[in-house]
Amino acid sequence: MHGPLIETLARQGVTRRTFMKYCATLASMMALPPAAGRAMAEAMAAAPSASKRPSVIWLPFQECTGCTESITRSHSPTLEGLIFDVISLDYQETLMAAAGHQAEEALHAAMKANEGKYLLIVDGSIPLGLDGAYSCIGGKSNLETLKEVAKGAAAIVAMGSCAAYGGLPRANPNPTGAVSVADIIKDKPIINIPGCPPIPVVMTGVLAHFLTFGSLPELDKLGRPKAFYGETIHDRCYRRPFYDQGKFAKTFDDEGARNGWCLFELGCKGPITHNACATVKWNGGTSWPVESGHGCLGCSEPDFWDGGGFYKALSMPANPLKMVAGAAAVGVAVGVATSVLNRGKKGAARAAHEKTTLADLEK
Amino acid sequence: MPSDFIPLHAIPVVVVPAGLRAGELSGNAPALLREIAEMLRRLLSSNEPSAIDLQALPLTPADLAWLRDRLGEGEVSVALSADGDSSLDETACPGVWWVTHRNPQGAVVSEFIEVAYVPEVVRAPREDVVIGLESLESLSAELT
Repeated sequence: MHGPLIETLARQGVTRRTFMKYCATLASMMALPPAAGRAMAEAMAAAPSASKRPSVIWLPFQECTGCTESITRSHSPTLEGLIFDVISLDYQETLMAAAGHQAEEALHAAMKANEGKYLLIVDGSIPLGLDGAYSCIGGKSNLETLKEVAKGAAAIVAMGSCAAYGGLPRANPNPTGAVSVADIIKDKPIINIPGCPPIPVVMTGVLAHFLTFGSLPELDKLGRPKAFYGETIHDRCYRRPFYDQGKFAKTFDDEGARNGWCLFELGCKGPITHNACATVKWNGGTSWPVESGHGCLGCSEPDFWDGGGFYKALSMPANPLKMVAGAAAVGVAVGVATSVLNRGKKGAARAAHEKTTLADLEK
Repeated sequence: MPSDFIPLHAIPVVVVPAGLRAGELSGNAPALLREIAEMLRRLLSSNEPSAIDLQALPLTPADLAWLRDRLGEGEVSVALSADGDSSLDETACPGVWWVTHRNPQGAVVSEFIEVAYVPEVVRAPREDVVIGLESLESLSAELT
């Protein structure tokens, strides 16, 4: 495969119009101005197609395979799929046919043949407790494997909240001593793609960016691509006008809920959560949590599991968690009413890692 | 039976006025008309096309319907079949196009208001014309 990428795609039957349409849609999903779609089409069309498909190694650690489940949903015959054909996925335990010694051989062969050039994708956190005995593959702890494979990688993609922040395994009291990739690897560029799981197109979009432009996308202070994580769910939410008008659902079955009003008082974490759900949506653009009538859980933010309760309004002054610090001011006006309602729970909520109980759900 | 048991028929059924949610205007749409007017002025003065990404704005379905209704229907509708069907409909304001891109499954993947004499994607790309010419030449070569 030589020549510009667009010619490779043309041979696969992708016309330039299809490509322009794809770029316009991709720009929209990335929350870029419409003019960026054309710039992107030009840059990607001119990008050289590698003479050899770049090697990608995917390591699963302490995880639930939800991230893999999610990314495979982007494999409908779309252009992402075609661009994705441009890579060589050399090791992915769940998807590969090989097992046991053959699988480990494939891993080491790919590492040797592409040293310094392969892209390493990690999903899952790395347990440090009991010398890493909580999660081992082929007799090696995840810590050992990560250090070994990261050494020859060009860049590392931490896929999902576990790899990016430690995720659920790291939730209080963190019994396995789980940490993120960035906690261990300090000398390689790391892209965090958090989410539990991340949106399929966000995963493939970031990979497409790396493979077509040959560079990492612009990252925010948490190492996330700004294109997808640059704005909050709240800023892009179609229910935002109701927030601005002060129209809130107070319970999940009141008139406000039926009318599709803002879910802020029901604990929506949209105002402090950076992700693209509101524009990209889920399940092929079918819907997303807020559209289904449930507030955002904030799964692409660090420590979301320990956020003090999914059904507590962000404005609650009793909420002790650092996650909420930046957002407390956002809902001050509505917060007054909510905090009165929740006064009875204030004392209990002072404990740093309060569990969500049935009582929390029955406001 | 617990003392706080409520029989099913005792739960009041509240009928939501029809269309309240879908019919609710956010008040954000009228501002777009001014923006489109400004984009048309730019097109006339400097030939510069521009677009509004409708999915990037907090608009309710009612807002979109209101906007589409106000802009009206024009004389030209373009159907584009490229990795799913897209429609590019000129509105009653010439130069203002309502563009809807769909994926092969028929779901809307992006929606724009484009201000241009002709949306760029409608023009045949030069490189594709070259490919078309080549296939036409090989077709005539086979005939002789």
